[in-house]
Amino acid sequence: MIVEGRVQIPFRYAAGAAASRFGAALRDERRILGARCTGCDRVLCPPGPFCGSCGGAAGAAVEVGPGATLLAWTELPDRGAFALVRLDGADGALAHRLVDVPEPRVGMRLRARFAPERGGDIRDIEGFGAEGIER
Amino acid sequence: MRAGDRPAVAIAGVGQAGPVAADSRSIPEMVLAAVEEALADAAIGFDGVEAVVTASVDLFDGLTASNVAITEVVGAVMRPETRIAGDGLCAAIHGACELRAGACETVLAVAHGKASMAPHWALTEWAMDPVFLQPLGIDFLVCAGLQACALAQGDGGATERWAELAARRAAAGDAAIAPPRSAAEILASPVLASPLRRGMAAPLGDGACAVVLRAAAGGPGEAPVRIAGAGWDLEPHSPGERDLARWHGLERACARAGLDRTDPGLELAEPSCLFAHEEELFRAAAGIGEEAPLSPGGGLFAGTAPHVAGLSRLIACARAIRDGAARRALAHGAWGPAGQAHAVAVLEAW
Ligand SMILES: [Zn+2]
Repeated sequence: MIVEGRVQIPFRYAAGAAASRFGAALRDERRILGARCTGCDRVLCPPGPFCGSCGGAAGAAVEVGPGATLLAWTELPDRGAFALVRLDGADGALAHRLVDVPEPRVGMRLRARFAPERGGDIRDIEGFGAEGIER
Repeated sequence: MRAGDRPAVAIAGVGQAGPVAADSRSIPEMVLAAVEEALADAAIGFDGVEAVVTASVDLFDGLTASNVAITEVVGAVMRPETRIAGDGLCAAIHGACELRAGACETVLAVAHGKASMAPHWALTEWAMDPVFLQPLGIDFLVCAGLQACALAQGDGGATERWAELAARRAAAGDAAIAPPRSAAEILASPVLASPLRRGMAAPLGDGACAVVLRAAAGGPGEAPVRIAGAGWDLEPHSPGERDLARWHGLERACARAGLDRTDPGLELAEPSCLFAHEEELFRAAAGIGEEAPLSPGGGLFAGTAPHVAGLSRLIACARAIRDGAARRALAHGAWGPAGQAHAVAVLEAW
C-alpha cells in the first residue's frame, strides 16, 4: 500500500548583505556586483558573506561583467542549458543559465542578458548569451 | 584517524537489504531486515549494541527528522543515537570514533535510502544554496553535467570511454535494478545532462545497510576485518568555487586516512561513483591505478540507494577480506553536488 504525500511550503530566505547589494544593483542599474575578499583579494561573484577559498569576509563591491567566458556547460532534456562562466573581472565562476547559444564551446565569449522585469535576485540575469548577438 | 594505542575497530557483522528498484516494504521494515542480518552475522542481539549511528537525509525521506522513523528498529530506544545527514560510510566512521574514544565497545552503523519514493534528482534542487543556485533550477544532475563537461575538456574520447566503463561495470553486477547495456547502447541512450547519457549513471533504488563495529584487541577469535584508517573532507558547496575536474576533497580525505597516494598495499578499491566519469575523478584523487581491482562486483552500477552507497562499499570490502580475495581495501562514500564531500575507510585483515 502506498500513502500519497506532497510537500509544498513557501519559504523566505534572507539573502545576506553582499547578495542583497548584488540584487539591488541588478534590479536598479543592470550592473553585476562582485565583492573583493578581505583575505585573499579575489573578486567573488556570486558574492556570499565569505570567500569559499580562504574563509575571508566579503569586502568592497567590485563591478564585474557583463562580458564573460564559458568554462563548462550542460544541457538537460526539457530544462535548457546551464553554464559555469567567468565574469570579466571576477575570480572563480558563476553557475547560471545559457540562453540562445546553439553551439556552445568552452572558452567562447558570452554576455549577461538582463531580464526586462527585475525583482532583485539572481534571476534578474536571464542567462548568458553569445557576445555580439544582442536582443 | 589512524591505528595506535587506542582500541582497534573490528567489523563484527554486516547486513544488507536491497538494493532493488522499488522495495514494497516500508523504510523501517527494510532497515530492520538489514539490522537483523548484521546482528546475526555478529552473533549478538539488540542487547549487545551500546550505541547507534544512523545516516539518512530528511529531504530524501520526505520527513523530518528521518531517523525518527527507524529509532526502534535500530535499537536506539534508551541508547545514545547519532544521526549523520550524509553518506552511510560516515556513520561507520563516527561509530569507529566512539569506539576509539572508549565511549563504548559495540556500535551499530546503519544507512537507508528509498529513491523510489520521489524523483530523486528533482529533490536535490532543494539541497542547493537557496539564494544563487536554487532559483536557477540548478540541482545535483546539472552539477554532474557541468563536472563531466569540465573533465572532458580537450579529451575527445571521454564519452566513449565513460560508456565503455559503465557497460563493463553494469555487466559485472547482478543487474538488480537495470539490465546491462553495451557501450553503443549507452551512447545511444537519452541525454541525462550532456555530455552524460542515461546509461552512464548508476541505477538508483531502495536499500539499507547495517554494520556492527566492535572495539577489539585483535588476535585469534577476533572478527577478521578491522578499520585501519578513515577520513572525510569537504569542498565548497558552489560549483563555481571549485575545480570541478578534480576531487580535491577526496585527496584530502585519503591523506587523513593515512593513505599514501602510491600505496602499494591496496588490493581492492570500492568507490561510490554515481556516474561513470566519477571513476576517473576517483582514480586520480585516490592514486588508484589499474593494479588493484576496482568495483569487481560492478560498484554502484549494480544498483544503489542514495546515501547507502558508502556503507555498501564498506560491506563489499569487508566481505572480500573475509573471503580472502583481498587483505587491504579502500571503501569510499560521497555526498553533495558533484562530489562535494568524501569519506574513505581503509580496511585490513587482522
Ligand atoms: Zn579569499
